[in-house]
Amino acid sequence: MAISFRGPGPIPIDLNVNGEERTVFIEPRRTLLSVLREELGLTGAKHGCGRGQCGACTVIIDGETAYACLTLAVDCEGRSIRTIESVSHGEQLHPVQEAFIEHDGYQCGFCTPGQVVAAVSLLEHNPSPTEAEVREAMAGNVCRCGAYPNIVTAVLDAARQGTGRDPGVSGATVASGEEG
Amino acid sequence: MKPFSHGNATSIEEALEALSGMSWPLAGGTDLLALMKEEVAAPERLVNLKTILGLDAIAERQSGNENEWHIGALTTLSALSQTPAFADHLGLRCLVQAAQESASPQLRHMATLGGNLVQRPRCWYFRNRHVPCWRKGGRRCFAFKGENKYHTILGGGPCYAVHPSDPAVALLALNASLLIAGAQGRRVVSLEDFYVMPRPDRQREDGYHPVTILEPNEILTAIVVPEPQANSRSVYVKRTERGAWDFALVSAAASLRLEDDVVKEARIALGGVAAIPWRANAVEEVLIGQPLSPELIEHAAGAAVAEAKPLEHNAYKVDLIKGALRQALQI
Amino acid sequence: MPTIRKTQVEFEGRIEEREVIVEEEHIESWGHDVEMRWVGKPTPRVDGIARVTGKAVYTHDIQLPGMLIGRFLRSPFPHARITRIDSSAAEALPGVSLVWHKGKQPAVRSLDGRAIFVDEVNYEGAEVAFVAARDERVAEDALALIEVDYEPLPFASDFHTATAADAPSVVLGEDNWIDREGDLYERGSVEAGLTDADVVVELEFTTPVAAHCCLETHGSAVAWEGDLVTVWHSTQSIFGTRSSVAEALEIPMDRVRVISDYIGGGFGSKWGAEAFTLMAALAARETGRPVKVVLNREEEHLVAGYRPGTYQRVRLGAKQDGTLTLIEQEADVTTGAFGGGGHVVGGPAKDLYLCPNVRTRVRAARANTDGARAFRAPGYVEGTVALEGAMDALAHKLRMDPLALRLANYAEKSPSRGQSYSYKGLRRAYEMGAERFGWSDRTASAQSDEGPWRRGVGMASQIWGGGGGPPANAIVKLLPDGTAEVAVGVQDIGTGTKTVLTQVAAEELGLPLSAVRCVVGDTLPAPFGPGSGGSVTLASSTPAVRSACREALRQLIELAAIMLGLEEAPAGDFTVEEGEIVYGPDPEKRIPFNQVTAKMGNYMIVAKGARGPNPEDRAVNTFGAHYVQVAVNVETGQVRVERLVAAHDIGRVVNPLTAESQVFGGVVMALGYGTTEERVIDPDTGLQLTPNLEEYKVPVMVDIPEIEVVFVDVPDVEANSVGSKGLGEPPIIPAAAAIANAVFDAVGVRVTDLPITPKRLLAALRQAATESKEGTR
Repeated sequence: MAISFRGPGPIPIDLNVNGEERTVFIEPRRTLLSVLREELGLTGAKHGCGRGQCGACTVIIDGETAYACLTLAVDCEGRSIRTIESVSHGEQLHPVQEAFIEHDGYQCGFCTPGQVVAAVSLLEHNPSPTEAEVREAMAGNVCRCGAYPNIVTAVLDAARQGTGRDPGVSGATVASGEEG
Repeated sequence: MKPFSHGNATSIEEALEALSGMSWPLAGGTDLLALMKEEVAAPERLVNLKTILGLDAIAERQSGNENEWHIGALTTLSALSQTPAFADHLGLRCLVQAAQESASPQLRHMATLGGNLVQRPRCWYFRNRHVPCWRKGGRRCFAFKGENKYHTILGGGPCYAVHPSDPAVALLALNASLLIAGAQGRRVVSLEDFYVMPRPDRQREDGYHPVTILEPNEILTAIVVPEPQANSRSVYVKRTERGAWDFALVSAAASLRLEDDVVKEARIALGGVAAIPWRANAVEEVLIGQPLSPELIEHAAGAAVAEAKPLEHNAYKVDLIKGALRQALQI
Repeated sequence: MPTIRKTQVEFEGRIEEREVIVEEEHIESWGHDVEMRWVGKPTPRVDGIARVTGKAVYTHDIQLPGMLIGRFLRSPFPHARITRIDSSAAEALPGVSLVWHKGKQPAVRSLDGRAIFVDEVNYEGAEVAFVAARDERVAEDALALIEVDYEPLPFASDFHTATAADAPSVVLGEDNWIDREGDLYERGSVEAGLTDADVVVELEFTTPVAAHCCLETHGSAVAWEGDLVTVWHSTQSIFGTRSSVAEALEIPMDRVRVISDYIGGGFGSKWGAEAFTLMAALAARETGRPVKVVLNREEEHLVAGYRPGTYQRVRLGAKQDGTLTLIEQEADVTTGAFGGGGHVVGGPAKDLYLCPNVRTRVRAARANTDGARAFRAPGYVEGTVALEGAMDALAHKLRMDPLALRLANYAEKSPSRGQSYSYKGLRRAYEMGAERFGWSDRTASAQSDEGPWRRGVGMASQIWGGGGGPPANAIVKLLPDGTAEVAVGVQDIGTGTKTVLTQVAAEELGLPLSAVRCVVGDTLPAPFGPGSGGSVTLASSTPAVRSACREALRQLIELAAIMLGLEEAPAGDFTVEEGEIVYGPDPEKRIPFNQVTAKMGNYMIVAKGARGPNPEDRAVNTFGAHYVQVAVNVETGQVRVERLVAAHDIGRVVNPLTAESQVFGGVVMALGYGTTEERVIDPDTGLQLTPNLEEYKVPVMVDIPEIEVVFVDVPDVEANSVGSKGLGEPPIIPAAAAIANAVFDAVGVRVTDLPITPKRLLAALRQAATESKEGTR
């Protein structure tokens, strides 16, 4: 059977974002980042470089972090996408978010959504990382303000807090990711 | 990015039928989409390979008396680096090290091994749409007399951009071969023969001078790594400017089989020094049959750069590659 | 009664005498022993939740109904003449609203006196055409349809080319020199300094062009409502932006509202209206739709400024005991085709040490690149690399402890101004830093070499302004339920300004932090506040907040006095304690804050305050010292910074949590500057080869050493009523110099070209090896 090509004009695409099914009408050349920000109003993921060189657009696709700026939206059909907007639930922050606030794990805050998503994903895969593991796992997120030391502290603290105090929050997001 | 149409392939045959000069395969996209955004590449159609099932499997198979590992071309770098059968295997460890030291965690989740092997050079002239360099169909290499601190010291031109892949260097040391599917059937090519030095007679429709023998209507489907013999060990050593998320200034992969400290077999590959992953035959000749002593390692390191012809700004790579090779041989 | 007074204000190394309006009684500074409830306590940011949930709205995130996206076509040549431009195909593209260029000019053609779309383009990235379209894709497709013919012209990319005898004109008809004689400072004489010296060292340094790399690229979004225009602008100065927008559009200031709620980094590069702001405003006016223009990453590198590179020569003379007899520093910088940026490279040489004979000269030339911009401690970072590198070489030559050499030349008064300091805690910073680092045991760490790794330690010190000053205003509203709103016309560029303003207001008002809401980053509700540059925001604006709060309390106490039946009692008899107003002579007579305000119905107490003048005849400065341990791999050329202790004197530390963050940030940026970051321009084409975050290498998580921060934390009670000074810039100043000095200590070779990459380190080692071989022959 021959492949049916769609585009280059706008085509309907079904996306599962933060557990919700969304249909958008877009050109195949659109990146996931531009669709999240412009079509779905999810502006938490930022456009820092557009080339996979900064990490401000980090999202979780099928349970693994990825750069939304180097991912075509059309390639995300049938996959589960989680953005920063799914990390907290109403007023209930994720332990990673609480730790970022407590330890000042940010400055201008522009990279922060990407950092938080990367940290949440790290702790889902490795609930009690060593400092070296945190540094390696977070090496794909640039913070030009240089908040790195506090980010490391925050992630390590969230790991301690998250496993002891409130496993429910992080557990819930894992579950929704796997189901989606 | 120029508009294009997009189709999901569900089988290799389907994909092959659709591929052509301006209809390109898309896997992880971390290289291709960046090239398209820079307008250094502008395919009219993208054939998504990620929808082909089974191309991301890793399996051990018997081939004659030998065992070999089949790594599906869609295996991501992170999946590769988390494969215990490789990570815990002294003989194959260099592949995991190379995958782990590539790019960033996010990119390793996205990038496939096949795509990593066929990526285009990372040269800062090549990737600049305003520079009509030889590699993309222009008349000359701008790095040759220009800013060439990241460029080649071995093999010469006419393009002096280094091949950027880390895993390719490890795979060259592991004597890997590649399964290629094409309209005319399948073929197996050793990784060493897969890469070609810059040649004026090989040029794509869009002017690009390819780094590999892969034709536009072919797909790389698997990477085959022979099971190393007992007592083999391998190491990948990478030098960068930044602590992570950086392409290699130079790198070295060594795969050795020792018996009583005597080198029985050796395959040495160097990265960041030539337009292709560089097989260091001269080093292997120095090593084989000799006891692995500090003197021998020094001799081998010297042999690696005997033919080196640094450009104006990259003589430091001569020291750097010697050091990387020394380290690779010591472990 | 408002009066006009003169006061001295230092801004980025330059002293200005300003006439300011002073309007309220002097407020005593919070002294050393005042017990504080909020000030001085580590305080998480008041807007933390917005930042960690992705809900904080940056200029990039502004999306308005019907909004158009603007993009620029930019010159692909460093210097060229545009001979033809045809935009008809672009205009015909569906979704394109308008196209402007030199043949189709917008209603306003120039900004800051310089025309935007012209025949001659002088740098890669210069604006050639502008498109506003339905979305970014259409805008970019339209750009590709614009046909432009260029006649390339000869160009110069660096100082030596630009100042050579037969240099091509960077700007046709203009001298390539911006300042041929140089910005000269001299006290005493070089000859006397040389005559008096027992020892002289002379070194040359080069420092790289560094890019700010704000993660939020520059941008503006503009919407008109009738003749009112709202400009969302990622800026360090909302009021500077307002005046530049009003001026460019020739409209009254009150028509313009500028909002910059969250700003994704500035570092000195984000100020007033830029070409993209003006085009957005004009296109929005013409189309009747909101327009947003943000730069992409490549444009950010091409046209959003940089720290200029320098070529420097430093000569120091000293007595055998280390007493300096001479500091001479010359620097050459290229600041772009039309100049720009601060380059007070000689600042540290003038003021860091007591020395009778000092001469500094900074020459500037044009080059075919966009203009330099201020970048976090402009000039001082570059100047300190050379000055403190030379001091280290001098210490080595004298066989002195580098710290002892610095202490031997400690300046108790401002050497260039002759004035006493309001407070100088550098000696204390030296001591605290040395103690934390273990400087006196430093030989132990230096001897812990492993294989190819050599360890070394180094230090460097720092001076900067950061005293701030008037004018700055604040408005406080006490609401009926006893909560307070504070409006200040500053912006929080990520330093935590909003949080420290809240702390200071809560402290002065005696309210819990949660009862104070602080509004910044909006010109409409807020009175004037300064731009966030020169590390002045906190020291300028927190005293204004105190003063406004004091006035609000005065009014509140008057009301309380009435309610307590004490109308006749003097105001000074009342104090505010734990949310209650207490009558001192009879503490039984007290009334809760919110009972008084509840009386107001929906009326509110509104008070304003202003920053008072700086102290007369005092220099207000910040100081610091960094101590570094590095490991250098002599085989790989790798420099691994292992540990850095940063000791800073900034007066009172209002928020130790965010203050520590500032120091981390400065150190991390200096680490990049010293070891990995470098703009490269191709000499052949004049094109930038590093306009992205792959080739321009900023530090990532794994590069970061252990950083320890210590503050002297003595309130500078003479400086202002809060006793605090700025910290945005000080920590970036000494770190690169300290790293380079530690590298010397590790390998015995001084690398004077930054950044110290493997390439440069290996080359230096190789050269040293050759020289020592030749020397022993």
